[in-house]
Amino acid sequence: MTAPAPGPPGAPILRRTPADAPFFDAAARGELLIRGCPACAYALPMDAYACPHPEHPPGADGLGWLPASGRGTLVSWSSVHRAPHPAFAGQVPYTIALVELDEGPWLEARLVGADPAGLRAGLRLRAAFVHPADPADGESFPVFAPDHPTPDHPTPLATGDPAP
Amino acid sequence: MQGRPPRTDQGRAAALVGLGETETGKVYGRTARDFAAEAVRRAAADAGLRLADLDGLLVASGLRHDLDLTLANALGLTDLRLLSQVNAFGATAGAMVQYAAEAVLSGAAVAVACVFADAPLRPGKSTGVAYSTDRPLPPGLPGLRAAAGVFGVNTLYALAARRHMEAYGTTSEQLGAIAVQQRAWAVHNPRAQMRDPLTLADHQASRWIAEPLHLLDCCLVSNGGTAVIVTSPERAADLPAAPVYIWGYGQGHPGNRYMRGSDFGLRTGAAAAGPAALAMAGIGLDDIGMLQLYDCYTFTVLVTLEDYGFCKKGEGGDLAASGILGPGGSLPTNTGGGQLSASYLWGMTPLAEAVNQLRGRAEPERLVRDVDFAMVSGNGGILDHHSTLILSGHDRRTAGRP
Ligand SMILES: [Zn+2]
Repeated sequence: MTAPAPGPPGAPILRRTPADAPFFDAAARGELLIRGCPACAYALPMDAYACPHPEHPPGADGLGWLPASGRGTLVSWSSVHRAPHPAFAGQVPYTIALVELDEGPWLEARLVGADPAGLRAGLRLRAAFVHPADPADGESFPVFAPDHPTPDHPTPLATGDPAP
Repeated sequence: MQGRPPRTDQGRAAALVGLGETETGKVYGRTARDFAAEAVRRAAADAGLRLADLDGLLVASGLRHDLDLTLANALGLTDLRLLSQVNAFGATAGAMVQYAAEAVLSGAAVAVACVFADAPLRPGKSTGVAYSTDRPLPPGLPGLRAAAGVFGVNTLYALAARRHMEAYGTTSEQLGAIAVQQRAWAVHNPRAQMRDPLTLADHQASRWIAEPLHLLDCCLVSNGGTAVIVTSPERAADLPAAPVYIWGYGQGHPGNRYMRGSDFGLRTGAAAAGPAALAMAGIGLDDIGMLQLYDCYTFTVLVTLEDYGFCKKGEGGDLAASGILGPGGSLPTNTGGGQLSASYLWGMTPLAEAVNQLRGRAEPERLVRDVDFAMVSGNGGILDHHSTLILSGHDRRTAGRP
């Protein structure tokens, strides 16, 4: 990582469930998956239960996973100064981002490799992944960095390469 | 603000006939259930009713879900015809009053108490600790945002407010103008937790919580309870206290999805709830003489003003900075100081202030006179749920008739 890693130690530990094992298996490989309808390849928000097309099968078994480019744009952001959880006390201030993936869904993620004072909605972003050193520290998860390297942060993607 | 005379209407409007408020703020050693029971007893007494006259009870708890239907047992209420918990997050107070009004107008019940109480504060702990979320992460995808540090409401409202700023040029100073004007009301409210005068410089100098939200953009945390009694206009006529009539109500739950095209941070359920409540009341925005707006954050007030139509979308910052919300302004808003400066009992804070004002129960320095209609809002989730009430001292059965 090019910025203080938001992952362990200290971060709350992220665990998988059987239903989203594909997402975390992909994250461990440095690939971003999103929820989608296999019947129409429609990308859905991460909390989706069903495709908007009523004839397509609903529910956990009906929805599948689609590969995402890992690229998106900045919708909103915040530099967080008061730790909202004791585990983040050593990380404040840190910057969070609301990212619109190019496929449509939004993700909230840690923003790294960017000066918060220079942020603007529409900034192009690219996913990278935090990989806990020890499986006991939980699952890999995505963070986002500006898609274009800056002099301060020549290599925003230090770990893994997002899925094409 | 002087409204037009109320219009003749054949409809009946249910009546708020009792208001019970406990001591509120840093009041320790009492449970939510204790506050709730006291609030209901006070509300019944205020209405001139015995507890035995109540045949309905709607109960709302805070985030810790420490209040439930057994409150009826604690109060010794028997043979109720309506008893439920209601939860629409911050929109609950307005929703409870709506359901109570519908029950008494339909005859399903005669007198319904609606109560909210909460006791998150503990002695010696900061107000931040009261609502800090130190529980484990939810597993799986729902844990992703928390692992990123997007945890709790402050971070999510910060994202909402920043999006509005990017879209419309809204500024922190414009948000601060809301905090300053509400504090100017609270100075005259002996029950307010924060009564020292506030300047825009004070707001700007207050520490960041999550940018663009300063500490003084965020509401207080309070212990306490509030209850209201809703009954039919016919029953209200027999009671000693001056009724406040429920002319209109509406809810809006836009279901903003987290994907391209979302109105998150830009437009809320107020855009549906406000016009619906006004239409039910048969009045327009020009008839509103007072606003009591749910103000978990300064930004919530700003976006609600826009969505109700008091200005065009995107011009809420200019409206707030114009100074018309404070004492002496043409659109008196949160006249007790609101959740930012008085106390935070969810939607009961704006509701109780509207009832007190319409009954003339406020200090002379902050009493808003000659108000025909007050508009009261509730907001829950991250601007996900909205309730609106239109309240008036005029009985709808006779209003406007000679
Ligand atoms: Zn489909």
